[in-house]
Amino acid sequence: MMSYETGYGGPAETSAIEARGVGRKYRRGWALRDCSFRLPAGRICGLVGPNGAGKTTLMAIAANLLAPTTGTLRVFGAAPESAEATRRTAFLAQEKPLFRRFTVAETLRMGRELNPGWDQRAAEDIVRAGNVPLDAKIGTLSGGQRTRVAFAVSFGKRPDLLLLDEPMSDLDPLVRHELMGTLLAEAAERGTTVLMSTHMLAELENTCDYLLVIAGGRLRMAGEVDELRTSHAVLTGVHSDGRTPPELAYHTVVETRTSGRQFTSLIRPDGPVAGGPWEASTPNLEELLLAYLRSPEAPPLISPSSYVAPQAVAA
Amino acid sequence: MSTMTGTGSTGSTSYDSAAAEAGRGRGLRLSGMNWLVWRQHRAAYWTLLAAAAVTVAVLVYQRQQMITYLDGYGYPHLKSGWEEKFDQKPLNAAAGLLGLLPVVIGVLLGPPLLAGDLETGTAKLVNAQSVSRVRWLATKLGMTTLVVVVCATAVSAAFTWWWSPVKSTSYVLTWAEPGAFDNSGPVPVALTLLTVVGGVAIGMLLRRTLLAMVVTLGFAVALQVAWSYVRTSLGNVITVTSHNGVGDNSQPNLPDNAYVLDEFYLTASGDLMGWGSCAEATEKARNACLDEAQVVGWSVDYIPFSQMASMQWLGASILLALTAGIAAFVILWGRKRLV
Repeated sequence: MMSYETGYGGPAETSAIEARGVGRKYRRGWALRDCSFRLPAGRICGLVGPNGAGKTTLMAIAANLLAPTTGTLRVFGAAPESAEATRRTAFLAQEKPLFRRFTVAETLRMGRELNPGWDQRAAEDIVRAGNVPLDAKIGTLSGGQRTRVAFAVSFGKRPDLLLLDEPMSDLDPLVRHELMGTLLAEAAERGTTVLMSTHMLAELENTCDYLLVIAGGRLRMAGEVDELRTSHAVLTGVHSDGRTPPELAYHTVVETRTSGRQFTSLIRPDGPVAGGPWEASTPNLEELLLAYLRSPEAPPLISPSSYVAPQAVAA
Repeated sequence: MSTMTGTGSTGSTSYDSAAAEAGRGRGLRLSGMNWLVWRQHRAAYWTLLAAAAVTVAVLVYQRQQMITYLDGYGYPHLKSGWEEKFDQKPLNAAAGLLGLLPVVIGVLLGPPLLAGDLETGTAKLVNAQSVSRVRWLATKLGMTTLVVVVCATAVSAAFTWWWSPVKSTSYVLTWAEPGAFDNSGPVPVALTLLTVVGGVAIGMLLRRTLLAMVVTLGFAVALQVAWSYVRTSLGNVITVTSHNGVGDNSQPNLPDNAYVLDEFYLTASGDLMGWGSCAEATEKARNACLDEAQVVGWSVDYIPFSQMASMQWLGASILLALTAGIAAFVILWGRKRLV
């Protein structure tokens, strides 16, 4: 397939999604501004951000439900509206829409009728695992069962890119665990790229190896989870009258919090951090995300593997 | 190797059984988007088809009743006097009720077609599959159009058939008035189709089924009002004059069943005067008025019955052109902005 140079000399992998300066304006204002990143194929990527940050908008653009106001987005090198991209992408909307008067079997038949690569067995397996009767009407199912059927329709399409908008929000922990297992097994087996928005940080920690963070309609952070964690440090030390040690200013400070006589800073080191008047450690994913979401003024971090030049370069 | 064979055969069996199940009960097997659109709207489509079948049955039965009566007067060569005991009520009532159908069908069928999907989010579900949005919109419009055309054509044909033995007389239903003109030939098909497709477009723009139905009702009524102005201007108006004064039996001869649009007094100078302009209290005063104005005869504007078919087809083609325009708008607009 197509491959792109990453600009920073990273490995030239296939991009599942490549966005250049993507923005979307509604009547109320910009929901998404100036988003440039690439998501390498085969990753399980978490899309994180506060409510109204633009997560759904970004997914809808990739799923060809919305056209971007500015910029371009490519799915496996193709425009989202192209036949190839729509065939390779599956989108599960947040509200899990299904036809209420259809039976489960008819819902799966819809998937079969509308998708050339439909996998009836995979879809039926997901439905059967939840003991959802095939002849039940969708309108009579519980919320969790309905989500399961919606999942089955998305999986049955056999997509190369699976876009899931808050997929687990109305599932109990057992079902969530089981469906997540199915998702990861399928993705690993078939090399499916998954982009999944979520509020549950614990879910991210266990499943995602890639991360996109959006806040206020702008991309705040993008890259591999390990890469992002190791390029930050948490420094803990003693402050004097609210003033942090001057050595802190040598680094890019994302966030500093004080409690009692202690200060805790999350920084992006611009040099060695050992030896300062503090204890240094590598942040976990939760610390990292919370720091970025709480500090909208901190400079965004786009890792080399997800960097693209904002303007489309000549092909 | 054996495992793979096993998997393949199981897979195909389950697919075959599902396909057989889907095809059961109906000779016609729909597939792809056609299947989805029919399945989603089948209640509405079957209701419409059943209602049309019942209506056609009633109209055919009424025609038989009428023919039984007319046979007593030597139908198909009617003897004079058949009008005296002829029961006009069934035809007039049917004409009145059928005239409402474009509005009723348009309001019930048009707005939910896309607004329903936009309201419940199922538009997103369908558009997340591998079929293009243009295909989706075109199938929705196409299948609805097909059902409406079948139903409206059947009802119109039945009504035309019922009315045809007496349509060349001016005694039952005036041909140029809505009861006859809008319910026979191609006109009811075109009127219904335009109302339905207009409703689809309104539903697409408003994205709320109930609101769209109310607005479509307004659209349908406005269309009927506009159509009532257009109807007689579809024909070539013929003017005939007479110069025998304006007394009894002085009217010019008109062909049978001509539709008179207006009558004027004709003066010696060739000018026209409204025929009510000498409405005086006494005969004497009236004659004096007529003499003073030098009225010499009548001038009558009319449309002959022979133009009815061409007027209906002209009108229907205008309505259908509008329908096609709206359908193209729905597809072009929806392709970019829907969902």
